[in-house]
Amino acid sequence: MKTKHLLLALGLMGTLASCDRLLDFEPGDVILAEDAIRTEDDLQRLLVSTYDVLGNLYGGRLQVVNELRGDNFAAPNNSLDFTSVYNRETTFFTGINGGVYSDLYRAIYRANVVIERFDFVDELSDAGRTRMEAEARFVRAVSHFAAVRMFAQPYGYTADNSHLGVPLRLNSSQTPAPRSSVGDVYAAIVDDLAYAAENLPTANGVYATKSAAEGFLAMVYFQMGDYPAAAQFADAVISSGLYEMDDDLDRFEADVINPEMVFGIVGRIQDNRSTWFRDNLRSDNNPSPQLSLSEDFQFFLSLSGAGDARNQWVTSSGGRYLCNRFNGKEYFNVPVIHLTLMKLVRAESLAEVGGDLTVAIGDINDIRDRAFGAGNFPLSASASAAEVLAAARDEFRKETVCEGWWTDHLVRRGAAGENITIRGAAWDCPGMALQFPNSETTAAGFVLNEEGGCL
Amino acid sequence: MRKNILWTLTGLLAGGVLHAQTVTGVVRESKGETLPSASVLADGGKQGVFTGPDGRYTLKLTPGSHTLEFSFIGYVKQRRTVELTAGQTLTVDVVLKEDAVAIGDVVVVGYGVQRRVAVTGSIAQVDAKQITAIQTPSFEAALQGQAAGVQVSQSSGVAGAGSLVRVRGVASISAGGDPLYVVDGIPITQEYFLRGNSGAMNNNPLASINPNDIESVEILKDAAATGIYGSRGANGVILITTKRGRKGTSFEYSSRVGWGTAASRPNMTDTETYLGLRQEAWENDGGTGYVWLPNVTSPLDDPETRRAAYQNALLTHTDWVGQTIGTGLKNAHSFGVRHGAEKYSFYGGIAYDDNHSYLLGNSYERISGRMNIDYRPIDRLTLTGSTSISQGRNNRIDAAWSGGLGDAMSNALPYYPVRYDADVLGDNGDTLHRAGEYFLWFDEWGGTKNPVAVRELKKWRTTESRSISNLQLIYRLADDLHFKASGGFDYMHLREDQFNPGALSITTDLGTANRYANYILNWNYNATVDYAYELDDTQRFDFLVGSEFQRTDNFGYGLFFPNATGPVYEVDSLSQEAASANRTVNNPSQHSFLSYFARTNYTLKDRYFFQATARVDGSSRFGRENRYGFFPSVSAGWVISDESWFQSASVNFLKLRASWGRTGNAALPDYARFGTYSARDNGITYAADSILFPLQPENPTLRWETSQTWDASVEMGLWKDRITLQLAAYHKRSEDVLMNVSTPASMGFSNLWDNVATILNRGVEFSVKSRNLVGKFEWTTDLNIARNYNELEDIGNYTPDAVSGGTNDSRVIVGRPVGSFYLVEHSHVDPATGLPVYLDLNGNETFDYNNDIRKYVGDGLPDIIGGMTNSFRYGRFDLSALATFSIGAKIFDSSAKRQLGVVSGWNMRTEKLDRWRQPGDEATYPRLTLDETTYGLPSGFPWWNTSLFVYDASYLRLRNLTLGYNLPDFDLGKTQFQSFRLAFNVTNLFTITNFPGLDPEVVRDFENAQDRNMSPNVTYLTPPQERAFTFSLSTNF
Repeated sequence: MKTKHLLLALGLMGTLASCDRLLDFEPGDVILAEDAIRTEDDLQRLLVSTYDVLGNLYGGRLQVVNELRGDNFAAPNNSLDFTSVYNRETTFFTGINGGVYSDLYRAIYRANVVIERFDFVDELSDAGRTRMEAEARFVRAVSHFAAVRMFAQPYGYTADNSHLGVPLRLNSSQTPAPRSSVGDVYAAIVDDLAYAAENLPTANGVYATKSAAEGFLAMVYFQMGDYPAAAQFADAVISSGLYEMDDDLDRFEADVINPEMVFGIVGRIQDNRSTWFRDNLRSDNNPSPQLSLSEDFQFFLSLSGAGDARNQWVTSSGGRYLCNRFNGKEYFNVPVIHLTLMKLVRAESLAEVGGDLTVAIGDINDIRDRAFGAGNFPLSASASAAEVLAAARDEFRKETVCEGWWTDHLVRRGAAGENITIRGAAWDCPGMALQFPNSETTAAGFVLNEEGGCL
Repeated sequence: MRKNILWTLTGLLAGGVLHAQTVTGVVRESKGETLPSASVLADGGKQGVFTGPDGRYTLKLTPGSHTLEFSFIGYVKQRRTVELTAGQTLTVDVVLKEDAVAIGDVVVVGYGVQRRVAVTGSIAQVDAKQITAIQTPSFEAALQGQAAGVQVSQSSGVAGAGSLVRVRGVASISAGGDPLYVVDGIPITQEYFLRGNSGAMNNNPLASINPNDIESVEILKDAAATGIYGSRGANGVILITTKRGRKGTSFEYSSRVGWGTAASRPNMTDTETYLGLRQEAWENDGGTGYVWLPNVTSPLDDPETRRAAYQNALLTHTDWVGQTIGTGLKNAHSFGVRHGAEKYSFYGGIAYDDNHSYLLGNSYERISGRMNIDYRPIDRLTLTGSTSISQGRNNRIDAAWSGGLGDAMSNALPYYPVRYDADVLGDNGDTLHRAGEYFLWFDEWGGTKNPVAVRELKKWRTTESRSISNLQLIYRLADDLHFKASGGFDYMHLREDQFNPGALSITTDLGTANRYANYILNWNYNATVDYAYELDDTQRFDFLVGSEFQRTDNFGYGLFFPNATGPVYEVDSLSQEAASANRTVNNPSQHSFLSYFARTNYTLKDRYFFQATARVDGSSRFGRENRYGFFPSVSAGWVISDESWFQSASVNFLKLRASWGRTGNAALPDYARFGTYSARDNGITYAADSILFPLQPENPTLRWETSQTWDASVEMGLWKDRITLQLAAYHKRSEDVLMNVSTPASMGFSNLWDNVATILNRGVEFSVKSRNLVGKFEWTTDLNIARNYNELEDIGNYTPDAVSGGTNDSRVIVGRPVGSFYLVEHSHVDPATGLPVYLDLNGNETFDYNNDIRKYVGDGLPDIIGGMTNSFRYGRFDLSALATFSIGAKIFDSSAKRQLGVVSGWNMRTEKLDRWRQPGDEATYPRLTLDETTYGLPSGFPWWNTSLFVYDASYLRLRNLTLGYNLPDFDLGKTQFQSFRLAFNVTNLFTITNFPGLDPEVVRDFENAQDRNMSPNVTYLTPPQERAFTFSLSTNF
């Protein structure tokens, strides 16, 4: 009797039969990682997401931060984060450097996932796979390149480039990595870009093309001081015939792709990627923008006289020199690699190694003709290599102001032995390399950059 | 049942003929009242009668041995064995004790009750009177100082604010570290972060519980006690039992009216002092002329403009603290009815509580109702139903960093007027501001400020609707065999409405309205079988096996109306839109637990007690490989004083207890283990092409956080329980402790949930209850005191920065407690230069403030906590005083680093006057400066995170002082009033502390559970506690 009752009771209690399904819940508004990348379209969308991250970086943020490290910009108005970059006193708590760094590696992670997921995608064409791998490696290289320039001392800082660079992330593994040497990072960047240049199509919508990879290779070799290679790749872009000089000085255009744009960020009215330029530099809608140009730059620009149309880029107001390049623009495309930049790199590289100066002089005059009016201020056809070099550097600084290349231009020359000071401090003072974010130190053993500012 | 009645009738009819043996007697309750209609069954129901109106029964039985069972609903069943010889008439009078929760002899444990003497785990019991005796924003705050080893810190005086409850220290880092709250058997929803820390307040899921409905609270502390809740017992379990019906009909009414003020008041500088200090800083920095003033002038203004502004500023004296705090009125009423008859009983209660805090514009209004019904349709079956419905409406104000008093303590400078006192004209003659218009300013984050304007113009309220219900079926299969099934449903709907009118914005005239709604639906089903087996007279087994399933669904929505004329609840078109909103769009998530458990108790000679529990828990939060955790416990108790050899004149009770067990914690986000990608239709594009992107990395190895606890204790009664003592020691090691690690950004994500840490908590607890004086003048002292040692033993290969408590500079430091402050160590102010001197990692002095030299500089965990209640009774008067204390904890006054640091757009505290002024000065604070780099801080970083602002937070607080007068029972018409009591109560009358800040008892608003574990005792403009004065009246009739 009792046993029967007991069994009955246990039976009743056992109405909750073991059922694992009761414990299976999956998030509803997202996709599980293992299901996310199944088709070529999924992979393509993941790939586009890497450009999305680049868009948030090269839409203006990287440019602004890089200019703040150099001597083109004046002290920021009152932004604490901008000030810490400008004073070269970033710490691992400062948001701006941490944000840039995190985003660069977010792009790298996604690019790595693209490369690793090919085998999981059905019916992927060989051509599609090759193109996507080339694009992913392009994004990975471009991101590593930005990271190593901003967060480490430059190439050439040590003779063998054994000094600390940034973590080199060539797969999506979730294990912490130490900083690789600058030499190793650059080698990996070159390797990725070479593969990209080899395998990318010449036309690829707004995404990376063969010329885009070559353009970045030119910039990478330029930064490494490998001028023949820099000239060679810049030349490849220029002579591809795909790009032509814009008669208009303004490269930042909305809704149309500037004819000079080799690779850039595409912004739309619904998807504005250029807000960092707009919100921090525009002065037509804000009498006191956060950022302005330095007196040093203003003086330098004024040397070329009123004939230089690029003087229009600067307005003097209340003791500040406001940058006009973005005035009146709500959203626009941001060319990162463009024909003018390639010509500047080719010219300077040829001058550095005593290459074909005629080509170099031609490049400089293409740019001067546009700035001063055709023939108004040409570089002499018989200019010496040193003269060409000086002219190329002058034009580089002017043409790329606010585009974020100038600081590394200076740093490169410092590493090559020139006596370079930037706002009164040595090119390699601690603080020129931005500090890593705090999160990077959470795995024991990570080596931070030296702090202490450059003043 | 029908069979029983038949038997009974047969017995009654036949009795007279066949049986000349009679058992008779009276059934009474403990106060001596007779119990009519009580059931008297013989031999398991073979015969039975009910008592008559006088409680008397007569039962005729055959000669021999019989078991009689006396029962009445609401009372503990009693069994007697009688031997009847032929013809004998035996008198058996019985006194039934009130059921379980009504008295202290029985303790509520998981899935049942146990006799106190038989309990082998560590359980603290707090009775209802202690909970309602004190004015608190929420019932759990009243547990402070009531139980050894239970640390209760009330967060602040904000109406409806919650408390931080830690049972025997904190054993979790990123997973929830709060105890599990179980109301009438249902583990309830306890989500503190539904609205994050919006308005600098975490929502308090316990605020909607009516304290007057509570019969008792049991706090389960060790593994033997919590083991039956295995999965979620690692941080203790708080069992709340609500009132139930009793025999007869009675009504209870209580009310409380009173007022509250701030327990302490910030000492901000006035206009002259602020301007003077600012001017000094300016001059120290090399400035000439008058200093520029925030929101009035800038450093670039010419000297004359600055001078005029300075002179003008001297004309305004606003006491912003006085503008934001005042007196809050309290008004609470509670009415209850208990009714009990033979087959049913119920308790019904309704309550209204309107609690205005001292923060102007802030109140929490609760309306609640409860109905608990017990029904016994047939003898074998009992159905119990409990349901509560409550609505809490929190009229919100901004607090702390969000505004209100927080503004008054920071960016509201004394020279800002509340309103313009005259029209302000622009350069072109236009009227920019009219007299009487609010003066608005920007804080350093660009927020538009003026706490008075915001309070008056912003409409903001949070409404919580809550219903907790359960239905239980208890079926007696046999005398000693019961089946219980219980289904519970806990519904929570929280909605927050905000309306910001255009008048509060400097840049737009458009008002905006927000509605945030959250729903949590929590179902619980459990079934148990308990079986009592008496092997012989001296040995008894109690078995319990059971299973439980719990599922929780969480969803909600958010609406934003960019051009609104009022809050959603006031504007019809908006409320219509809200009514038709898709309710499941905001991070819908589910989780469930599936559990099997068993408990065996073995009692030998009623003085040796053994218990073993085992529970297997499955949680949906873990993958199939790691889903189930096994949580066993064993424990034993020995009542030494019942041994025949034990002879003592003074010790009347002595019991030893020991236990070991394993418990778990799975309070982590529902989907932490999954690697996830954005939805395919996320609507995000680049260059008009849609994108798909990863959101979080997967961790398939995520598993239970487990604690192993050893516990041993001695309980003692001296001189017939004049003094009762309890001494307990425990050792709890928590392993696989969950950390939401901040992973290197170069890995592509920001965080990863992982089982990483090991935490040790060990301690001793002592409590004593002493009836110092008995007789006409009674004096009783209750003291509990507990010492806990907390150490983070391991965090794998991570650094202290791997897990941080929000913005609070608390970090995980091996060898230190969870919740350690990680700051630059301040040494002194250099008398020669007036600059702050720091100590680097080697203890060397330096002027360089650098993040690399951060170190452990203290922690917020107390070494010793406790409470002491002294109760006096003389005639009809009683006086009770509860003092609570905390020793050894530090407070990091995180806002002091701005109030007492670099001179900025923040007002300062008057302590700042103790600053260096000239060479040779020995001062607490360095030379004043407007430039953070003066103190060695990086430019753009005014957050002077140093140990200068880490203070000793030991305190002794008179938490509660109550003077009561108990009227004699009296009649009013036909109604008899009993227990009529009037009382006057003061909460937080005074505090003795060396802490120079506002309040040494502080729980700031937290960002998440991790912050809540990591950052106890960090204050950031946190409002002080409330000092409340209330009159209360209570009676039964």
